[in-house]
Amino acid sequence: MMKQGFRYYLKIYGKILVQNIKSKMSYRADFFISLIGIIFVNLSGFITFWIIFKNVPSLLNWSYYEMLFLYGFSLIALTPVQCFFDNNWNLLTYVFSGDFIKYCFKPLNLFFYYISEIFDIKGIGQLVVGITVLSYSWTNLGLDFSLIILVKLIIALVSASLFMISITNFAAASSFYILNSAYFVMMLSNKFKDYAKYPITIFGGALRIIFTFIIPIAFMAYYPSLAFLSNKEATFLTYFTPVYGITFFYLSYKFWMFGAMKYNGTGS
Amino acid sequence: MNKFLTLIKSGILVTLRFRLGVFVTIIGNLIYLIIVYFLWRSIYLSSGNNVLNGMTFEDTMIYLVLASSMFTLLESYLTWRMHEDIQSGKIILDLIKPMGYQLYKSLGLIGEMLFKLVTTLLPTFIVVYFLSNFHIQLGINLIFFFLSMIIGIVISLCIDFLVGTICLYTQSIWGVNMIKEVLVLLLSGAVIPLNFFPQPLKNITMYLPFQAIYNAPLQQLLNTELSIYTRFSSMGIQLIWLVALLLICKVFWWKSLRIITVNGG
Repeated sequence: MMKQGFRYYLKIYGKILVQNIKSKMSYRADFFISLIGIIFVNLSGFITFWIIFKNVPSLLNWSYYEMLFLYGFSLIALTPVQCFFDNNWNLLTYVFSGDFIKYCFKPLNLFFYYISEIFDIKGIGQLVVGITVLSYSWTNLGLDFSLIILVKLIIALVSASLFMISITNFAAASSFYILNSAYFVMMLSNKFKDYAKYPITIFGGALRIIFTFIIPIAFMAYYPSLAFLSNKEATFLTYFTPVYGITFFYLSYKFWMFGAMKYNGTGS
Repeated sequence: MNKFLTLIKSGILVTLRFRLGVFVTIIGNLIYLIIVYFLWRSIYLSSGNNVLNGMTFEDTMIYLVLASSMFTLLESYLTWRMHEDIQSGKIILDLIKPMGYQLYKSLGLIGEMLFKLVTTLLPTFIVVYFLSNFHIQLGINLIFFFLSMIIGIVISLCIDFLVGTICLYTQSIWGVNMIKEVLVLLLSGAVIPLNFFPQPLKNITMYLPFQAIYNAPLQQLLNTELSIYTRFSSMGIQLIWLVALLLICKVFWWKSLRIITVNGG
């Protein structure tokens, strides 16, 4: 495999992306309905919080707007995995049918080429809802805003997004190792998305440790958010998020690639 | 009658073939219930009351656990299957069968539901019954629950067929399906019991067919204070929706059959 620079890959990604969007646009109705669909899904999460907070003033010291902050943050942080890494969902089928072999013959990084094939455009809807919810709660909480805070926010969002990407990578790559039960792993890993929008403090002690160190769900929104909320204490783990995110992503990438290298086709 | 039983049996056999699927559903459900448990525990802790909107924490948990296992029962993937039938052209073979397409599909699904009833809903019910220290009353309400659930299942199937038929026009499955799923789950009280809804919103949901799927049967089972009159009128509303939806479903399907485009098969 040839070593190429970052810019080379960016250029290729741009080319694949344009083709992808073109082909998606030929099903314009599907695109718009999917967009409405994903907006519905995300709004229903918002309505759920709204109904809950009609009954209680706060949730274990988390106010309505703080919960919305967490929700908006998690929606944005979960957008990259939806938009850029959606092809992971098809990995099992490709490995099973043997079609995966076609990705192995390109002079490109295998992981990059495989992942770049699909750009799931409906994730944009999630991003829009996420930004709306986040700015709505941001103004209502009366939080400061400046250029430095924006940069901090972007760093926090990008590093938070790495966690779900990595979990999906691990789950998808399990198709290389345990073909028969990979479907099981994928379905379950996807369920963890729902956990991201709650503060980890609502869970019991054992789950808190699991969600911090073993399945790092708490980093998808909870720990990075603490740095921005004014009456919450940011912990060491908050500032550890970027380092942990990159490490976790690197490990998942290695796990994926190691599995792909072991892949020897179906012989057909 | 014999052909009905055969089709139901084939539905059961198909599900038996994919036992892992049932296992995935159960574990997935458990992961969902962990959030539900901790979320509602913190709601009750933060409110400082033992009873919210006439429901204790125990009541709410029983309600939501049973609702989640009813969801596994009702999850038919019908929209996707209809789409598959049309894409592969298999629908042609189903349409020339001496039985309506909708009935034919439903019978297979009923077989699957029976299988899931025995493997998920019944065990869940028994576990909940013992874990909650026999909190669920066992009496006449069981019969009402069962009847009401059957009506709910048929209503849910009708909605699935309607959505599946809408997809014939839109050619988009994921989006339409998601919109339906969100509306049904939220407005039927499957995610949050309708008691917790603000009054105006609750009134609106009572005029929609969705509450007949989850809320109506679960109220029949768990709300011990319902009078016989309320029980019958609740079921009456369900029946009205059932008839209306069956009619709409049938007519819409016949109208839509003309526009099906099958590429090959």
